[in-house]
Amino acid sequence: MGGNRLYRALSTALLATASGLVRAAEEELSEFVPYEKIVPREIEDPAAGFDHLWYEVMVDITIIGVVFALLALYFLYRYRRRSEDEEGSQKPLSRLNIIGWALIPAFVFMADDFFLSANGWQLYDLYRRVPENSLEVKLESAMWTWDYTYPNGVKTYNELRVPAGQPVVLRMTSRDTIHSHFIPDFRIKEDSMPGRVTYLWFYPKEPGEHVVSCAEYCGQLHSRMYGKVIVMPREEFDAWYQAEADKQNIKLTKLGD
Amino acid sequence: MSNHAEVHAHEHGPILTPWPLVISIGILTMIPLAFMFNFVYHNPFAAILSMGIGIPLCIMGVIGWVREAIGGDELSQGLGFGAMGWFILAEALIFLPGFATYWVLRLSAVDWPPPGSVDMPKLMPAIMTVVLVSSSLTIHRAEGLLEAGSIAGFRKWLAATMLLGLTFLLMSVYEWNHLFHEGFTIDTNVFSSSFFSLTGLHGSHVFVGLGMFLGMLVPAMAGRVNKTYVRAGSLYWHFVDIIWFFVVSQMYYW
Amino acid sequence: MSTLKEWIFTTDHKKVGLLYLIGSLAAFAVAGMSALMMRAELTSMGPTITDNPGDYNTWLYFHGAAMILGFQIPALTGFLANYLVPLQIGAKDVAFPRINALSVWLFYMGIILALLTFVVPDPPDVMWTGYPPYSTITFGNTALYTFTVLLLGFASILGGVNFLTTIAFMRAPGLGWNKLNMFTWCTFAAFILQLIFVPVLGTAVTLISLDKYLGTHFFDPSTGGDVLIYQNLFWFYSHPAVYVILLPFIGIVFDIIATFARNRIFNYKAAVYGGIGGIVLLAGEVWVHHLYVTGMPDWIRVGQMVTTLLISIPVGLLFISLVGTLYKGSISFETPMLYALAVVFLMLIGGLTGIPLAIVSLTLHVSDTYYIPGHFHYVMAVAGTFAIFGGIYYLFPKFSGRMYNEFLGKLGFWITFVGVNVIFFPMMIVGVVVGMPRRYWDYSQFPAAEPYHHWMTAGAGMIAIGFTIVLANWIYGLVAGPKAPGNPWGSRSLEWTTTSPPLDHGNWEEVPKIEEGWGPYEYGTGKA
Ligand code: HEA
Ligand code: HEA
Ligand code: CUA
Ligand SMILES: [Cu+2]
Repeated sequence: MGGNRLYRALSTALLATASGLVRAAEEELSEFVPYEKIVPREIEDPAAGFDHLWYEVMVDITIIGVVFALLALYFLYRYRRRSEDEEGSQKPLSRLNIIGWALIPAFVFMADDFFLSANGWQLYDLYRRVPENSLEVKLESAMWTWDYTYPNGVKTYNELRVPAGQPVVLRMTSRDTIHSHFIPDFRIKEDSMPGRVTYLWFYPKEPGEHVVSCAEYCGQLHSRMYGKVIVMPREEFDAWYQAEADKQNIKLTKLGD
Repeated sequence: MSNHAEVHAHEHGPILTPWPLVISIGILTMIPLAFMFNFVYHNPFAAILSMGIGIPLCIMGVIGWVREAIGGDELSQGLGFGAMGWFILAEALIFLPGFATYWVLRLSAVDWPPPGSVDMPKLMPAIMTVVLVSSSLTIHRAEGLLEAGSIAGFRKWLAATMLLGLTFLLMSVYEWNHLFHEGFTIDTNVFSSSFFSLTGLHGSHVFVGLGMFLGMLVPAMAGRVNKTYVRAGSLYWHFVDIIWFFVVSQMYYW
Repeated sequence: MSTLKEWIFTTDHKKVGLLYLIGSLAAFAVAGMSALMMRAELTSMGPTITDNPGDYNTWLYFHGAAMILGFQIPALTGFLANYLVPLQIGAKDVAFPRINALSVWLFYMGIILALLTFVVPDPPDVMWTGYPPYSTITFGNTALYTFTVLLLGFASILGGVNFLTTIAFMRAPGLGWNKLNMFTWCTFAAFILQLIFVPVLGTAVTLISLDKYLGTHFFDPSTGGDVLIYQNLFWFYSHPAVYVILLPFIGIVFDIIATFARNRIFNYKAAVYGGIGGIVLLAGEVWVHHLYVTGMPDWIRVGQMVTTLLISIPVGLLFISLVGTLYKGSISFETPMLYALAVVFLMLIGGLTGIPLAIVSLTLHVSDTYYIPGHFHYVMAVAGTFAIFGGIYYLFPKFSGRMYNEFLGKLGFWITFVGVNVIFFPMMIVGVVVGMPRRYWDYSQFPAAEPYHHWMTAGAGMIAIGFTIVLANWIYGLVAGPKAPGNPWGSRSLEWTTTSPPLDHGNWEEVPKIEEGWGPYEYGTGKA
């Protein structure tokens, strides 16, 4: 590789890195808001963002993997040994090439890393920024049950009923060991543990049923620690909520929003 | 194997030694098995039995090892000092997480000291510090005398160092005992947990250091000294001394 | 043959290495059997071969702990390092042969403790991660876990002190740092990591036993303790530990590939200083990627997402050198080479599937699902084991003076190679697509996972057959293999210039002299 071409390649790589950095800084840094400062805006569903980013990352790593694998396979075929005493004929690299072959790939990889970080961070923002009008449910986990407490005091066990169309935020803690509230369908989990309060939120749009499973090893019956998220149409939910409150002898405070 | 191998082996003398195996078995029975018998399966008798096997094995192993190796085997001649440097790096990183845990617990605590704590004595730790620092100086002096070729002087100052180290340990025991009587034990609260774990960890290092010195003193009585070993041992002792500054400042005076 | 006494009282680095090999393969076999039991249990939903979840948890505990601490780390930094490093640097032995013997016997004591799992009442059931508060309240024997880790860790620290000193000070005259074999470099780096990080693990596991048995309160929130401290300490070691595995196995793969391609390492300096050096520098700053779904503060999760992704740069440089070494080579495909090449492909899959894991928002879904075992079995279990097996085949003529059977070698390789993909690829799919969590004895709530589990169990059966062939081949080679030539692969590297097997004590008649133009990878220069 001639010197000039090397420098051109280097500067291209540098540019790519820089643009990755700038993207990270510009779009993400300015948008990153800690949980406390909720900005009202249209609810963006992190689950959809997950599927999108997952797909992008899969394409990204598949390309990288295939490039390396094909190159290796080609070399294996092209340079297979033809006679017993044949030896390889690679020459030592010049100083320029040593540096070039280290820095250029490094910058290309770094550019990809920053690109991925930027996207990951953006999505992470969605995951951590709870929409304002969420239904807030308290969760206390224990070996081996999920105990939910609604704003009006209604309690349920292993069954979280929520209205369709309203985001739900769980404030979680644990009575004994660490557990992890995992709802595969909403692409979200977060640990709950004694002595700390953690949170997660998700956005149930359509009525339906979803599995909740424990995703942190918590003892012998870890695999038997599961429940359901039941998403109900708004009116049905309200009716259930009220009936349940009456049943559990709770003075009804008006529902959330 | 070929003739060559035998001739060769004869020249250098293959090192065959039972002591590493003996020490390993000793460690296994003395600590893990004994601990488990006592604390997990609540069988103190078996625990004592297990230690009764392990402790003699360890002592035998160390004595045998020192006797074999004190003349210095050709390979490690002179490298012991550098190796001790690597080992001290590892040792420092045993203490660091202990301190880190203590700092996290302390800095995130609502009120400190937590309920159940007692007023930490101030005088005793100061005396202990003086004792330990002087022992660092005496071992330095012993080393210097050894360099100058005086084995007798080396012996004297080494013995002084050991005396100081022993004094330090006895004072720790006194100190612990005193705290126990005030109702401050390892399971009182997070502070006591950190306090006894860290001072205990440090004390065990003093103990090991004394063991190393014993391994120098006994052959030195017969006039045999391995200089690399002495330099490494004294480096270790200085390290134990420095760690004490952290322990004492964090535990007693903060 | 040497007498039994010469084996158990030995301080010779080659014998110590082989002792490490025997011990670690024993751990591998037992941990592999536990894996087969687990696979049998998971074949169908609900209880299959045991209706006691405790059995499953014990198998899984033993499998994870023994495979990492009892098999891979000792096989790589015990067997391969002991056998190869002194030979590759032209030394007569390691710096402290007696301490070396102490290391290997402490390792055996650790293995004995680990195996007690199957003997004692209330075996440990804390998984290889041992998270409190569960590990401090379980009826299981957490002390056994603590002491197993402590003994194996202590053996590692002593090994580290020994090898760092050996490599730094005992190289043959004229053997500069830039002429070291890749494997020696990688061992050097791995032991630096061990020395820095093992003590942290030791402290962490000690604290849980103190909490459980002596009543301290480090991890007990009701009295001011904090459960997350342990996880931070644990992963502060256990992430670097994966590079303690990765580095030596990539190192041996480099040596094998250079030998069988009879070629120089492509961009040796970038691989050593950028690749290995970069990994050592970054290894300690990424542990939080194992705590993405705990309550860690957001800023640190995002920060360590970036550092974790940056690890792809040094590893990528190593890959460029690996693939580049094939360029203009003269490649032949004996069994060790097949294993080494397979490592490149499997490690590509395993490493690249770590990339989505590093991205914090994606981990929120896949963490603690079967995607994770999928990722790490590829990158560690399979790539690491293949590198170890390749290394054993590569050194087979060296340490036994005999040849294994080439046909059986290739047969065993292909069966296991297909088998591992059949078991570990579906694992990743079932993790993301179905959301099947790991460490489950029963997965009745995920019926969609069952077909995948059929495949995985079938794959595990294939691996068992494949490994049986491999084992049979080695036994055949040891007992009845044809005599091996001194340098069957035509390697230029120092370890092949001595006799096979090398002299019992001291390796060489005379310590080799390193000439000006010599290097372990100087092929194609005409000189033989
Ligand atoms: C040898 C072992 C090994 C190795 C080398 C790795 C390597 C990597 N691992 Fe893995 N990992 C484990 C063993 C290993 N891991 C284990 C055992 C666990 C689970 C522990 C448990 O919970 O029980 C785990 C878990 C684990 C997690 C936690 C998941 C969770 O529990 O939620 C994460 C998250 O970030 C992760 C990421 C990575 C990354 C980014 C790498 C990187 O180092 C990979 C780098 C390699 C490449 C990227 C491929 C080659 C590079 C190129 C071709 C260059 C170009 C590429 C790009 C620009 C992207 N791993
Ligand atoms: C280096 C590490 C390593 C290796 C090599 C393996 C190898 C294997 N692993 Fe392992 N695995 C881990 C490290 C490793 N694993 C870790 C760290 C975990 C996580 C633990 C945790 O969650 O805490 C895990 C978890 C894990 C799980 C997840 C369980 C769960 O989360 O519930 C499963 C499930 O299938 C599994 C399967 C297997 C199988 C089938 C093999 C096979 O490749 C094994 C094949 C080996 C043999 C079959 C034995 C050798 C054979 C012979 C000597 C020949 C003679 C024998 C016969 C004829 C039988 N492993
Ligand atoms: Cu709760 Cu696992
Ligand atoms: Cu990691």
